[in-house]
Amino acid sequence: CSEYQKALKADGEGAIAEKFKMGEALYKEGKFAKANRLFAQIVPDYRGKPQAEKLMYLYSNSFYQMKDYYVSGYQFERFASSYPKSEKLEEATFLSAKSAYMLSPVYTKDQTETKEAIEKLQEYINVYPDSEYASEASKLVQELDFKLEKKAYSIAKQYNHISDYPASVRSFDNFVFEFPGSVLREDALFYRLDSAYKLAMNSIEYKNSLNGIIPLKRNRLKEAKEYSESFVKSYINSKYLEDVNAMVADIDEELKGYSTKS
Amino acid sequence: LLLFACNFTIQAQDLEYSNGKKYTLGDISVSGNTTFSEQTIITYSGLRKGKEMTIPGEDISNAIKKLWNSKLFSDIEVYITKTEGNIAYLQIRLSDLPKLNELKINGVKKGKKESIIRENKLTKGVKVTENLITTTKNFLTKKYRKDGFFNTKIHINTIDVKDSIQTARVNMVLNIDKGEKVKIKNITFSGNTILSDKKLRKSMKSTKKINRIRLLKRSKFIDSAYQADLGHIIDAYKENGYRDARILSDSIITNNDKTISLKIDVNEGEQYTFGDITFIGNTVYTNDQLKRLLRINKGDTYNGILLQKRIADDTKPDAFDITNQYQNNGYLFSSINPVEVSADNNVIDLEIRISEGKPAYFNSVTVVGNDKTNDHVIYREIRTRPGQLYSKANVVRTVRELGQLGFFDAQEITPNFNNPNPVEGTIDMEYSVKETGSSQIELQGGYGGGGFIGTLGLSFNNFSIKDIFKKEAYKPIPMGDGQKLALRLQASRFFQTYSFSFSEPWLGGKRPVQFSTSISHTKQFLFNPQTRNADKSRSFNITGITFGLAKRLSVPDDYFTLSQAISYQRYDLNNYNTGLFTFGDGYSNNLSYTIGLSRNNTSVDPIFPTGGSSFAITGKFSLPYSLFNGVDYDALDAEREANDNIRTDITSSPLDVADASTRIAEIDQEKFSWLEFYKVKFSGEWYTQLAKNLVLRPKVEFGFLGAYNNARGIIPFERFYLGGDGLGNFSLDGREVIQLRGYPNQSLSDQDGGTIYNKFSLELRYPITLKASAKIYALGFLEGGASYNSFRDFNPFSINRSAGLGIRIFMPAFGLLGIDFGHGFDPLPGQTQKHGWETHFIIGQQF
Repeated sequence: CSEYQKALKADGEGAIAEKFKMGEALYKEGKFAKANRLFAQIVPDYRGKPQAEKLMYLYSNSFYQMKDYYVSGYQFERFASSYPKSEKLEEATFLSAKSAYMLSPVYTKDQTETKEAIEKLQEYINVYPDSEYASEASKLVQELDFKLEKKAYSIAKQYNHISDYPASVRSFDNFVFEFPGSVLREDALFYRLDSAYKLAMNSIEYKNSLNGIIPLKRNRLKEAKEYSESFVKSYINSKYLEDVNAMVADIDEELKGYSTKS
Repeated sequence: LLLFACNFTIQAQDLEYSNGKKYTLGDISVSGNTTFSEQTIITYSGLRKGKEMTIPGEDISNAIKKLWNSKLFSDIEVYITKTEGNIAYLQIRLSDLPKLNELKINGVKKGKKESIIRENKLTKGVKVTENLITTTKNFLTKKYRKDGFFNTKIHINTIDVKDSIQTARVNMVLNIDKGEKVKIKNITFSGNTILSDKKLRKSMKSTKKINRIRLLKRSKFIDSAYQADLGHIIDAYKENGYRDARILSDSIITNNDKTISLKIDVNEGEQYTFGDITFIGNTVYTNDQLKRLLRINKGDTYNGILLQKRIADDTKPDAFDITNQYQNNGYLFSSINPVEVSADNNVIDLEIRISEGKPAYFNSVTVVGNDKTNDHVIYREIRTRPGQLYSKANVVRTVRELGQLGFFDAQEITPNFNNPNPVEGTIDMEYSVKETGSSQIELQGGYGGGGFIGTLGLSFNNFSIKDIFKKEAYKPIPMGDGQKLALRLQASRFFQTYSFSFSEPWLGGKRPVQFSTSISHTKQFLFNPQTRNADKSRSFNITGITFGLAKRLSVPDDYFTLSQAISYQRYDLNNYNTGLFTFGDGYSNNLSYTIGLSRNNTSVDPIFPTGGSSFAITGKFSLPYSLFNGVDYDALDAEREANDNIRTDITSSPLDVADASTRIAEIDQEKFSWLEFYKVKFSGEWYTQLAKNLVLRPKVEFGFLGAYNNARGIIPFERFYLGGDGLGNFSLDGREVIQLRGYPNQSLSDQDGGTIYNKFSLELRYPITLKASAKIYALGFLEGGASYNSFRDFNPFSINRSAGLGIRIFMPAFGLLGIDFGHGFDPLPGQTQKHGWETHFIIGQQF
């Protein structure tokens, strides 16, 4: 350790090369934090020199290994733009994107980082479709995409939970439109129906509007009925089927009243 | 930039742009006076060998642009040196911009030089461009003119440095000649008959002539302000119906080096009146409804400014105008244009053309920036939900209420409108928030009450109780569910207090029903005069638990909250004799139900509200035990009085006195076994913005503690203690400490506390900074209040008055800190001289 301290404090002619050598050794041993401190000292000295390419790669990766993903993402990106001919280019691009992935928070919080990570990973996949990391990258993209889906789904479901049914229906509509292939689609369609059903059941009969009196409840029942049909069409063996059938029966019962009246 | 444009056009003329041919790039070389390596420049330009491009074409101009934007080079040119088939060899020619070597500033004091260097970024090594020289010159000229140096002259010279160092460098000499400070001696008008010179001068808001009495505005001449003021003169005419008024000419006359005069020639034109006003295109609102909003009638003096204000008042976002009427009811895409259709005989007929558009509905509503707070905590507070009709008022209210949560910086919540779609009638909403620290730590030690007191307080205002067993949630504590958790431990040689409280604003997440609970335990030891220490064998314990529910109401309006709480407290005495109790061993139970109704629409920042008001009325009740427990309190009261007489009678024998005391203790134990009382409190406060940054807060408070059974009497607990900083420190008996600055703590009530109090206060607040890291405001106050022991003494006008000044600092990690200097104008009870100055330290109290 004292040798390390000496190297840290060293100054003068041979010191820079010595630091590089020692940093590299420490890096190989897996002591990334220590290596990183040495690299940080010599990065300015190597700027523009041929060894800089290797140094910058090690320096960037040491941040990654230290789980300082914000800096590693930036450093790898810089590496990729500074050394477009490097053999490590592909790996650096990937690690830059993966750093962004690591920064993505849980789905219930702001997803700015998630979107950035998706963009970066997607760009990586587009540029290097056959690389060794491509499958991992697409797996990560999937995972991040799911976060966005889960977020939109949870918000729409919360509107259902707090009994704001119109907001819930609208949000699930947007969800189905935005994430057509989502694994949450079945749940989304069910809760859209559930919201529409509850909205219709608790609705007032008529509403005054500019275009005259609207039969509000009837319209809402019809809408709920449509949602139930589209649900059954897609998921005939759904775990929700029993609930759906009960709702449909209720809706039909209510609608019957209108058909006899008119 | 001019240079670049020249080069560009020359190239474009050489090879016609449209005739560009496709080439593959061969080698690229760099020439010119530069110290940068060839590779760096080529990489930076974005050109690389093997790239296919059209020459001439966009790629080349992009390369030049890129290099230009680096602000490192001048004279950038790109040439084709030769072509071989479809391979083009390029050469980049450029030269480095000179760096600043030495700067010499003449004409200002030494102290000012540094700020000039900083403001214009004239540090050594900066690239000297034409732009830098021009902006510096303009900046300084403007700056001095603003300070009244109308005749400022700035000269900048650059001299090339010639020495052995390769890089191009220049020395700069900055000559500043401020000249004399120029004031406006006089402003004269000609051509005005309707409005007097004086009125016109008054209409000029920032340009004023010398007046020794006027202190707030100076008589400087600032050109931009002067131009605006010329507009204000016209506005003054417009407000009086002279809509043709114009400035014919204006001149600045230099009297001498120190003063100038302004001469303004106006043409007033004729006065106009409003004629017929018709609305066109309105289907949602009737003509009558719109007329009521416009409040302008035929025959009124024409006033273009007023007309504009009634249609869309830009100065007030919540103004009562036609635009807001549409905006608040979903018509986001509406536009309203007044058009003059005729102006015969100076009577202006107006057509107000309304394009209503489709009503807009919110499509997606999102929140960004919540790095700590979970979605569900935010989305449930948002009043603009997907599918809802657009309403500006709801957007404003959402911003207010998100600010009130206390998790975000109230000054930085912005609603962004995205993807407006007038065809579909939809709009997306995005609320951008910025998290602030919402946890507070209090760790203090101090001397008081006869020894060292240590306090540890933790309060987490955005806690997440469901994450307390998740290791990864500790960053540093589980956060984001909007729950409040507070722990407080306080201990000295004489007492220990432990308290814990928790609240969840949406119990179950379905409705805004706040659940709160708190548990506390206090152990107090009696002071032993012999050992001068705590006597551990004689103690007084208080244990309490409270459960509360608070529900937001929608009637009468949705700013109301109804809260209910049940609390239980047990006082346990163990050989502990004080003035509070006549019995040394015994107990007392306090079971009470509290119901409160409050309304709060203060906005926007909870730390520094600038508008709205807050009212609260609460009642706290115990069960009326005396109604059904069969105890004859009249008899007990009579017996107690009789015994008290024996006790105080000096002729009684010591044995009788002891017997009487024992009996009194027994009676009191009976009376206080279950505390019987009711308490009613009211408080109201208003916030009004007097000027841009000045907020006035009047506040009234009133409280009353009563007994159901007069024979049982008013309890010695739960009383009001008036005076001082109002901080509820360690207290034994459920007392309420009421702030009244300018007097010592709790000095304005009896030793046993008052049963009625009232208080009036006026506070004027001025914000110094409202940044998220620290909010600081200064305040001045006038207040008065009094506490009484019964309704018979009650006199709301016989109050103790005070006035003073103070400052408050709110930092997210420490809560509110402050100091107030109050002057009490009335004597303390039992004294005859006015109390005078008193200093108060305010810690952690928010209101």
